[in-house]
This record gives sequence, C-alpha cells and structure tokens, in this order.
Amino acid sequence: MNQFVYDIAIWLDDTAWSTLLHESYYMYNWVESTHVLTLILCLGMLFLIDLRMLGYALPNVPASNIANRLNIPMLVGFGIMIITGALLFYAVPVRSTQSVWFRVKMLLLVGCAINAYLFHKRMNESVSSWDNDARAPSRIRLGAILSLVFWSLVVICGRFIAYDWFDCEYTSVGSLSQVLSGCIDGQARF
Amino acid sequence: MSTSSTSILGTYTKTITVVALVLFLLVFSFSGLRRDIWLELYEFFLWLETTPFGLIGKTWGAVFAVVEAFHLLSMALLGGAVIVSDARLLGWVFTDIPVQEIQDKAHRVFVMGLIVVLATGVFMACGVAGKLYWLPVFWYKMLALATGIFFVFFIRKPMLKGDIDKINPTVVKLVAISSMLVWMTVAATGRWIGFAGS
Repeated sequence: MNQFVYDIAIWLDDTAWSTLLHESYYMYNWVESTHVLTLILCLGMLFLIDLRMLGYALPNVPASNIANRLNIPMLVGFGIMIITGALLFYAVPVRSTQSVWFRVKMLLLVGCAINAYLFHKRMNESVSSWDNDARAPSRIRLGAILSLVFWSLVVICGRFIAYDWFDCEYTSVGSLSQVLSGCIDGQARF
Repeated sequence: MSTSSTSILGTYTKTITVVALVLFLLVFSFSGLRRDIWLELYEFFLWLETTPFGLIGKTWGAVFAVVEAFHLLSMALLGGAVIVSDARLLGWVFTDIPVQEIQDKAHRVFVMGLIVVLATGVFMACGVAGKLYWLPVFWYKMLALATGIFFVFFIRKPMLKGDIDKINPTVVKLVAISSMLVWMTVAATGRWIGFAGS
C-alpha cells in the first residue's frame, strides 16, 4: 500500500505543473495564504454554530437560524479550502503523503465529515423542540464539542506538516515514525 | 461618533484620536523614524527573546507550533465574529434579528478571540523577535492590528451603541466594509510573515 501511494506521489511530482507550483514563490504562497484565509471563513462560521449549540455565542438567536444562515459561507470557505489544500498537496506530493501529520489530518477530516453528517441529521430531527433554547440538547452539544476538537486537531496537524521532525529523510530506518509515515526502504526521493 | 462635550476636539474626539494614531503609526512604519530610533527598539526586541516566552519559543519547536495553531484558531473565531457582525450591518444575514442583538453577542466572541490572538501572538513574537524586527511585513501587520483594535473600540462600537436608524446607511455599510478589510489585512499580513521570515 505504501509503495502504491509512493508511486502515485512520484508520478504527480514528475508532472510539470507540480514543479511549477512548487517552484513559484508567489503562486505557492498565494495558494497557501488563500488556504489559511478561507480556513478563517470556514472555521469562523463553524465555531459560531458550535458555540451557539453550547450556549456561548448568540444564545438568543434560534439555533436553526444560525445553522442555516452560516452554513453557506462555511461551505464556500470549505470548498475553497479543499481546492487550495489539494493544490498544496499537488505541489509537494511525496513529502505530503509521507508526513505522519498529513495522514492524521486526513483521518481527522473523515472524522469531521462523519460528525457533521450525524450532527445535522440529529439537529434536523429534533430542532423544532429546542430551537429557541440557549443550549442545545446533550447529543447535539456532544456533536458541537467533537466538531470543535476535531477541527482544532486538524489545524494543529496542518500546522505541524510544515515541520520536518518526522520526515523520512531524517528518521532512522524501522523506527515507529517511519512505519507511521509509510517510508519506503531505499527510497531516493523525498 | 463620540460624545465627549468637554473635549477640545469636539464631537469627534475618538474618531480624531484614532485617525491621529493611525497616521502616527503610518509615519512610524514607513518613514525613517523607526530607523532613527532603531537601537533602543531593536534592543527591546532582542530582550524579548530572553524572556521566558522567548526561551520556550526558541527551545521547544513543538510548543511554538501548537501556539501557532491556537493563534490561527483564535483568528478564525475573531474572523467569524467580524464576518457575522459586519454581514448583519450590510444586511446580508440575520436581517430578521435586531442589529444591536447581533452586534452585542458577536462582540463578546470577538473579544474572546482577540484576547487569545494577542496572547499567542506575543508568545510567538518573543521567540523570533530579533528576526521580526527586520521584516517590513511584521510592521504592516502591527499597523493593521492597531488600526483594527482602535477602529473596533473607538469608532465602530461607540457608533453602534446609539440608535442605528439615525445613522446614514451608507456610513454603516462603509464601517462594515472597512472593518472586514482591516481584519482581512491583519490575517493576510500575518500569513505573509511566515513566508518573509522563512
């Protein structure tokens, strides 16, 4: 599996656009800046929705109102974040696929998606009975807390990707970090 | 925008004060003033690196990275509050809810975010203070941040405290757009510090 992922990363790395994006100081930085700025839009809306459910933000505004109105800018931010994130991955495919933080981040994003699905499902089923309450029922609050925790960890892992502590290039063969990062024995490209 | 009847600056004391402060910061950032007094200021920045925050930031990269992440998260919280309250002023969202209601509640979230942004920002700056001093983009960010804080507490908040219906709608919209632009500049220049410093 690791070999397969590595081969795909090498194939992506060999494409001209990947090199151009990586080598372009301004374009790469613009893409990364857009990724971070839209993260502020997406997470800013998400945090307000979650904090509303917990009773800490805008408690007098109906919960469904907050969720429905802020969902659109949140999804716009999320969409741009996914596109720019994919471009950032495409610019540095080998190192990204072999980053333990990137791998954990992807798992956390799956957790975020499942939690978001359950959160909205539960909310739509019951919101009419607690819409005007300052705090949502415990099941919804649990979803909001999980959302805050998962997304905070996503940002932390995203930030950690920039550091080379566990890069295949700098860790010893057979170490735990090499196993988790999916390093390939004798690999020539990093 | 301000009501101090005893001030020699008249009705617009706070507005004039903010404009004067912003002009001072602009002159300080872009003229030779900073270079003229660089020795004292640079020594202060070097001293920051010797503080406990500076030492922790320089010694433990992981701590620095976690604080960086929380800086970003709190910026998201602050940004969310700014977007919601300004979008309400522009009439984009929550038009069925009174402006004052949204402004008051969003402002609390904004203050929470700002406190964490400032605390984590000071910690991070201490770790790399000597390098930051020489980065023009760091000074642009400080200028934008100071403008944003003064703008919120001395112009936007006092203005929205009164009866919003009595204010020219164009002025309200201009305030909302200015607010969004200022905080977007803060975020963008902050991100650019990372590129300029690497």
